[in-house]
Amino acid sequence: MHKLKSNNISRLIGFVVFGIFLLYLSNTIDELRVYQGATVAMYVVAISSIILLTGYSGQVSLGHGALLAVGGYGAALVRNNLHAPVWLSFAAAVLIAALCGALLGVTAARLSGPYLAGTTLALAVGLPSIANQFKFLGGEQGLIFDIGLPPASLGETFSQYKWFFWIAALTALIAMWWLQNLLRSRYGRIWRAVRTQSVAAELAGINVARAKILAFTVSAGLAGLAGALLSMTISTVSPGAFPLSLSFALATGAVLSGVTTLGGVMIGAVTLVAIPEIADALTQRFGASENVINSLPGLMVSGLLIVVVLFVPNGPVEQIRHRRKK
Amino acid sequence: MIQLLNTLLIGITAGSIYSLMAIAMVLVWRSTRVVNFAQAGMALLSTYFGYEVIQLTHSYWIALPVAMLAGAVVASAIELIIMRLLLKHSSQGAIASIAPIIATLGLLGLIKSVIGYFWGNQDLSLESPLSNVGFTLGSDTLAISPLKLFIIIAVAFLVLTLSFIFQKTNLGLALRASAYSPEISRLAGIKVDLVRTIGWALAGAAGGAAGMLQTANGTGTLSPDSLEFSLLLAFGFIAAVIGGLDSLVGAVIGALVLGLVLAFVLTYIGGSLVFITAFVLLLVILLIRPGGIISQKAGRRA
Repeated sequence: MHKLKSNNISRLIGFVVFGIFLLYLSNTIDELRVYQGATVAMYVVAISSIILLTGYSGQVSLGHGALLAVGGYGAALVRNNLHAPVWLSFAAAVLIAALCGALLGVTAARLSGPYLAGTTLALAVGLPSIANQFKFLGGEQGLIFDIGLPPASLGETFSQYKWFFWIAALTALIAMWWLQNLLRSRYGRIWRAVRTQSVAAELAGINVARAKILAFTVSAGLAGLAGALLSMTISTVSPGAFPLSLSFALATGAVLSGVTTLGGVMIGAVTLVAIPEIADALTQRFGASENVINSLPGLMVSGLLIVVVLFVPNGPVEQIRHRRKK
Repeated sequence: MIQLLNTLLIGITAGSIYSLMAIAMVLVWRSTRVVNFAQAGMALLSTYFGYEVIQLTHSYWIALPVAMLAGAVVASAIELIIMRLLLKHSSQGAIASIAPIIATLGLLGLIKSVIGYFWGNQDLSLESPLSNVGFTLGSDTLAISPLKLFIIIAVAFLVLTLSFIFQKTNLGLALRASAYSPEISRLAGIKVDLVRTIGWALAGAAGGAAGMLQTANGTGTLSPDSLEFSLLLAFGFIAAVIGGLDSLVGAVIGALVLGLVLAFVLTYIGGSLVFITAFVLLLVILLIRPGGIISQKAGRRA
């Protein structure tokens, strides 16, 4: 018990140190990188929500883009209509998305494998287009989500992008710390039991359906938070910001990170942001044709995905741990 | 009255194309227990081959079978190279349930970038082989044209051929046996791996036909990100799941139900609700029958 507590404290210290490091980093790198940092933080939250769902409770979702959309719209509506402070709109995003996730989870708990994948895929295709039907959601143009200028006390040179990065990084750090603790708690153990042997879990007195619904709810809440962060960095929410390819990108990120552990989440997030950059650098270096420029990023992502699934299916982090145990 | 009839006709035409995609999904699911998200990508690639043939010969009628053949070749190659490796490496642990899904998603992206590399991102136009102007009934124009009639007949022909193969031939028996129990089939002397590849090839051919027909039925343009193929991806899959993934009949019924419901929503309620309707329909059917309309097993529990 005592050891557990000290572990907890050292982990908290680790998070704080990492946060201070990020703070220092944001002052030394250029604007574009800072902006990309904010995107990485968004992906970290989004990917961890999929890892929680798939790796810990054994459910598949191809529709997390839709839950991101719910979070983004929720945040924008609360911010624009109630003139709420930013943190309150983020909290609203989490709550609204979690509510949707709970509803979805009730259905999801009855479905398995491909049926669940199909339902969530249909959701990802269908949900963003609702915005075109209702006027208060702003149609194709969407809504504005403006978090305002950075506070004047931070100085005149403090840019908008750096402000995005600070908010996104802090949010991601808090979310990750909370999730770490959650997965080490009773619920984390219940989810893992459900995933590995649902019959045995049921015999041990675990309500399997309830555990799955809870996992879906928490995952959706995190996805909503990621949606609010995404909307913040692009300052708007519109159906076009949450295409099917976003859902697929998140699934990709989760696999690249390794779905069974939260430890590799940075790998997937950084890869998703870095690949377009690398492809860009490569094409500039070798002077490629337009077709190559357009198709190289997709080729790299999909190629990497297939290689990972075929050869390191449990992700790089798990692979290294496995090696060490041997 | 005429509007009602036209809505029915539009629904049936769309539904028949989805049913080809759904059948392709079912064939792959039955032979390898993989839901193939790359199906729409494979169909798209076959349609590009069809486009090249049209450029060469100026004939849609040669291009259609060539596209189907190309689809079959691409699908068997994918099965041989990637799916066999996949089943060998990631068939255990937490990843087993999602590895095939993710691998086929990766394939979808890979195929799209390959297309982007060879053909670019611009729209190519595929000439329609038959007139798409509707027949007239008195003073009204019906939503059925020579082209749409051909689509319905072609799909019916393909579906009947496939069900004949499945029900009446030795190959069909081998396909059904290796889906039912690979181990026992192997003991009975069936080359299960070969049969699986054939299952994929049939699916690829069906997908190729769906791609060619869908492009002719839609705007007639072809691009890696065209809406037509997102529709094929999403609706073919939804139709297969509604039908119950295991049954060819179910796939056809699911696709027709989906096509009709969507056509009615499109005509009477509004275009922007089409996608969410597909979702709600899927949800309702799965809540009533968790294994699809035609399911042999009892409903899954919790």
